[in-house]
Amino acid sequence: MIESITGGYLTSEVAGIILVLIGLYGLMTKSNLVKQVLAINVISTGVVLYFTKLGYVEGGTAPLIPSEVMVDPLPATLMLTALVIDVAITSFALALIMRMEGSP
Amino acid sequence: MIPLLVALPLLFAFLTLLLNAFRVRDGLRRALFVLGILSPWPIFAASISQLPVSTVVGGWERISGIEVALNDYNYYFVLGELIVFSLVGLYSVGYFGAERTAGHPERDFTSPYIFSLLLLLHGGILGAFVSSDLFNFYVYMELASLSSIVLVACSREPGSRRAAYRYLMLYLLSSFFFIFAIGIIYVKTGYLNLHLIQQNLVPSQEVHMAVALMAVSLMTKAGIFPLHFWLPGAHSKADTPVSAVLSGIVVKVPLYGMILLLSYLHLEFMKNPLLVIAFSSMFFGIAMALLQDDAKKLLAYHTVSQMGFVLLGVATLDVDAAIFYAFAHALFKSGLFLGVGVLVSAQNTKSLDLLSYRGDKMVMAAIIFLSLAIGGISPFIGAFCKQQLLSNLHGFGVYLFYMAGVGTLVSFIKLNYKLLQPTKEALSLPALEKIIAAALAALTLIFGIYFYPQLDHRDIILILLAVALFFALRHVGLLRRQIPRFFEPTVRDLGREINLYTGVYVLVNLAVLFQLLY
Repeated sequence: MIESITGGYLTSEVAGIILVLIGLYGLMTKSNLVKQVLAINVISTGVVLYFTKLGYVEGGTAPLIPSEVMVDPLPATLMLTALVIDVAITSFALALIMRMEGSP
Repeated sequence: MIPLLVALPLLFAFLTLLLNAFRVRDGLRRALFVLGILSPWPIFAASISQLPVSTVVGGWERISGIEVALNDYNYYFVLGELIVFSLVGLYSVGYFGAERTAGHPERDFTSPYIFSLLLLLHGGILGAFVSSDLFNFYVYMELASLSSIVLVACSREPGSRRAAYRYLMLYLLSSFFFIFAIGIIYVKTGYLNLHLIQQNLVPSQEVHMAVALMAVSLMTKAGIFPLHFWLPGAHSKADTPVSAVLSGIVVKVPLYGMILLLSYLHLEFMKNPLLVIAFSSMFFGIAMALLQDDAKKLLAYHTVSQMGFVLLGVATLDVDAAIFYAFAHALFKSGLFLGVGVLVSAQNTKSLDLLSYRGDKMVMAAIIFLSLAIGGISPFIGAFCKQQLLSNLHGFGVYLFYMAGVGTLVSFIKLNYKLLQPTKEALSLPALEKIIAAALAALTLIFGIYFYPQLDHRDIILILLAVALFFALRHVGLLRRQIPRFFEPTVRDLGREINLYTGVYVLVNLAVLFQLLY
């Protein structure tokens, strides 16, 4: 259904890039620190979506059992690492914001 | 062998944290920390004889594994890292013990974690320097910078948390663009290993765009002029040993990334924008440093300027010049931070009007030596690196380069002039910390004589010119000018600052990408 509206131009890659741009908009316009951390998270989601599409092969299966068509597992693996870094950073940023209130 | 170079500090980081949880005696924890800091040395010494070496971790094929290497590109980076980190490690054993717990041991909840964080930083930096794989480089760079951001936030200085937040946001933003660009390179070549990328790369508009995005991200992380906002705050608010590591080594990690881009991917198409950015960074850093009244901030702005010098090596496509300048800068800038830091903690102020090294000959000699080294006076190490950079420049560039050299000298004459003022009370400085600062000063001289054993008579003219210029500027009153403050130190203005910096980041990206179209 969505494809018929967008004419096939809205692939997940494009959607990822749009998410990155939305996050950038948030970082440029919102002065609330928690909102900025959320904006950074939106950017990270966009990058993850973009990467996941990179490894996708039309009609491919998970590369667990040998089969004819498999998706490329590497980009998804890389994103696993990136997501772990993201979680750690988000919690640290929020802790930093909590400590900043009140103290100079 | 090479993976152990990274694994040992990380293992010791884990062990120090574990011992902390078991409430083991403080002395044992410190001993373990020093052991962890020094642990990569034997492995490095064993690998030197068979340079260049490379292995794929786990014995996989190059195509499917992660390759680590020790070669001509990273040899001096690793050597500089080990020298600086070993000395700073010894310095911080004394620093984080006596200094921070004085009076209020119960309030000191961060010190036990600092040793662990420093070891993580050590492992992260070494990991980034040895990896020949783009994604692996990214992960280790992230490890190194995250530990340094937490270390900045651990400082007692007012405003250190705001500095850490600024650092974190700019860092994350550039990280995501960097990884996005890695994705483009992966699509275009099918590999993340740098050798395989080099073999399979077909230059195209997309590849150039990806390289440009990566270059801008790396310049943000290195604190180069239009994207330097986070650097002066973070480097001046951190504790002295942390500042020394940040300015000496951590900013070299992204610059090593630039050198990788230059040697494995193509960077020739960005030559002109990089030259402009390098020169503007050099002059902006010097101009801001001249106006500073805070000793550590003066040094931090010089990092912005000196990173411009290293980038000049990259922009003139001379890998060796960039490598040697980065190595030299690691030695003298960490030495300067430690030397000034000894005075700062003894006299409990950072203001240049109150600090003085009059009472202590060793620190005085160390700071004067290091100032000459950063000014590029022979026979110190700076002279050798400046000669290398200068050999690639022609015409107008040569004059600009000499002007930047004289500017650096003027700023350090200001530092030494202020530090020469007499003090009321006698100084009693901790012996170990003094010796470490002096050792770094001696190393700049030893390496300088080793690389370039000659005296250049033109240096005397440069020094005289700089002294004249300093007194002229002082007479005019330009050195006392107040810098207008655009942002108040409140949480709300911090948010606005981030908005502005993101805007500048996006603009620089757009400008560089736009330049690619022509």
